[in-house]
Amino acid sequence: MPDCSRIDPLVTPFVDGELPQDEQQTLTQHITACPACRGKVMAERAIRSVMRTRRSELSGPPAPADLKARCTLLKSSSVPVAPPVKSEPSHVRSLRTSAWRSPLAPLAVAATLLLLAGVFLYQATRGSSRVLAAELTMDHEKCFRLNRLLGTHNSAEAVEAEMASGFDWNVQLPDEAELNLVGSRPCLSGEGKVAHIMYTYNGQPVSLFMLPRDTRASELVQVFGHRARIWSEGGRTFVLVARESASEMERMAALVRTTIR
Amino acid sequence: MRMGPARIASPGADSDARAAFEADALEFVDSLYRTALRLTRVPSDAEDLVQDTYLKAFRAADTFRPGTNLRAWLFTILHNTARNRARDRSRDNVTVDSEVVDQAADTPQFAAAGRVDDPETLLLRNTMTPELKAAVDELPEAFRQAVWLRDVEEFSYAEIAEMLNVPLGTVMSRISRGRRMLFGRLQHLRPVNA
Repeated sequence: MPDCSRIDPLVTPFVDGELPQDEQQTLTQHITACPACRGKVMAERAIRSVMRTRRSELSGPPAPADLKARCTLLKSSSVPVAPPVKSEPSHVRSLRTSAWRSPLAPLAVAATLLLLAGVFLYQATRGSSRVLAAELTMDHEKCFRLNRLLGTHNSAEAVEAEMASGFDWNVQLPDEAELNLVGSRPCLSGEGKVAHIMYTYNGQPVSLFMLPRDTRASELVQVFGHRARIWSEGGRTFVLVARESASEMERMAALVRTTIR
Repeated sequence: MRMGPARIASPGADSDARAAFEADALEFVDSLYRTALRLTRVPSDAEDLVQDTYLKAFRAADTFRPGTNLRAWLFTILHNTARNRARDRSRDNVTVDSEVVDQAADTPQFAAAGRVDDPETLLLRNTMTPELKAAVDELPEAFRQAVWLRDVEEFSYAEIAEMLNVPLGTVMSRISRGRRMLFGRLQHLRPVNA
């Protein structure tokens, strides 16, 4: 019988199922006669099993939402890579102030950012309202720009029908003089799951987003020169995005909340 | 399980493939972060490490060989980055893998485990997660990494060897010693016979 010091290195690959057939046999024969080596096999097997079984508890928290967002922004295909950013994606902000101005190129950049972000950010948005607000603000910008080019104008009935068929959301839209309906778009954020209804309020663009099956705390977030008012109701999350003061945002939100059904 | 997504794109010159490659890589952010947290133990350091990993990965996309394990490739970058940082701070944690530790690892009485009917079931039943966590955290760095990469992240010996930049035999012996130390530290099985 081979001595234990020659068997010892075979124990780990045996437990992991990585040992060639002939060595497996050698080991199996040895451990039937040797309690010490059998103990090693059983100990390693027990640890391997407990580690695997408890994997999810051992793993700790998932990556924070803003880390995901920052890593997404590092893609070579999105924008030139800026130095690591802590909270505010400053290269996005600088894009908005420089390249953003010419009519079509920035649109392409925004659309690229959005499409790329869309694949990934939806997970992230589940955690952070700030990331959600940033993402929807980009949608708001993009859709209004597109709309200015295309000149789309939808009736309330058309939008309501689209919400019912596309989002299983039977809604009666606010019919207020102050809020003028522009139209709706099924936005690409997160697998096209976000409803986007565009209004003008005192002539300024306002977006109302609806995320089905999502609830989160009420919050007013400032991002990219816009404000986003977030609230949840009936298992849906609503986000109002505009370039307005905090008090105007609250007023609009109240208007929408009382009229939307 | 925990393998790469079905589509592993070639990160070559064409921009669609590039975007797909980057999207695939980003799916591993959670598992990279967890491992980074184990390495650094400080959330902000772990975040920096992950971000640095993606920065390097996206810059070095051309060196990824399509068809190989993308997650393992990212983990290698993560570990290299962590090692370089540790070296910069002139305390290379891998040197903890000393003879003292190696000898200490051999002390538990495994004959006892061999006599217990089913140590696996006993361990699963009697070990609380916080206790297991604490025992894992107390392992010397080199052993903890090896056991973690094998038993939690389920990488192959060869992949771990590449990540930790050590020979295959060293990977196996670190896993072996790490597991045995863990077993020795989880006390429940001892009182029965010891």
